[in-house]
Amino acid sequence: MRGPQDYGGMPAGPVDPVKHEHVPTHWEKTVDAMMMLLFDQRRRLARVDESRRMQEALGEDYHKYPYYERWLQAISWLMLEKGVYTQEELEAKKAEVKARLESGNES
Amino acid sequence: MSETHDHSNEHDHATHTHDGKPIQEDPLPSLEAQILEASVRELLIEKGVISADDVRRAIDQVESRTPALGAKIVARAWDDSEFKALLMSDSDEALMAFGVDMRPTELCVVENTDEVHNMVVCTLCSCYPRPVLGVPPAWYKRRDYRSRAVREPRAVLQEFGTQIPDQKQVRVHDSNADLRYLVLPQRPAGTEGWDQEKLARLVTRDSMIGVSDALAASDIGG
Repeated sequence: MRGPQDYGGMPAGPVDPVKHEHVPTHWEKTVDAMMMLLFDQRRRLARVDESRRMQEALGEDYHKYPYYERWLQAISWLMLEKGVYTQEELEAKKAEVKARLESGNES
Repeated sequence: MSETHDHSNEHDHATHTHDGKPIQEDPLPSLEAQILEASVRELLIEKGVISADDVRRAIDQVESRTPALGAKIVARAWDDSEFKALLMSDSDEALMAFGVDMRPTELCVVENTDEVHNMVVCTLCSCYPRPVLGVPPAWYKRRDYRSRAVREPRAVLQEFGTQIPDQKQVRVHDSNADLRYLVLPQRPAGTEGWDQEKLARLVTRDSMIGVSDALAASDIGG
């Protein structure tokens, strides 16, 4: 069975190499940087195939996520799976960050 | 302001003008994604897995990887047959001279000739030789390119304005998590005696992905 990522050979529209360029945003670079750190030889906390396994587990939602948001979700699931932090810790942290963002203290 | 999120909104540092492209507005992702990113980053810092400084330096590294490095490597291969032989047979060793470490992935260099044109895709995700080319272009990550590059490469090449003669074979390389490809484009005619710095100006990112050829000598007023 084809996973959501398995596009090879499928019909698709034209490639527009002029329109589809994109300078990564700072937020995207931050996600990229975190992934790079977790992949590095010192930490070895993740590998490309593990990240892909998590992204592909999104199923049909794979297509709904912007590229780096998919990466971010994969990182978080991998860290949970590896016990780097727990679901409870993540939920508590998300509530804290959300409150901070909403109060406008983040900038 | 804590040290863990002191650069999360420094948009001024993230906008660049590349060759006349407009300055990019730097829109933030969904609130949900912003919350998850800050949460994951802060938890990783609190757990001592990474530091804020590690993140900052890694961003610098992401930004420092550009196709200009790949172009230097290609120019040297055009100019130095011994280096080229090493690059083709043991790219790890050859890339060390440029301070490039491809680990944990492996780089395979594929050479364009009069008989063969090579082109690179990653049908399953967006695997790309980042240490030598930087972040992949958006079209490389999109469904259109990933789907069709392996089925109708000549049609896709035409969409890039690249016409490959019928008698020339087109070879498509599908990258994966462990193996990345770099195309060694053909050295353009009329560049005899050029030094590596001048040769490198002919080597575009797209020519190293194989969706186009290197620039012609006349393109840079050579």
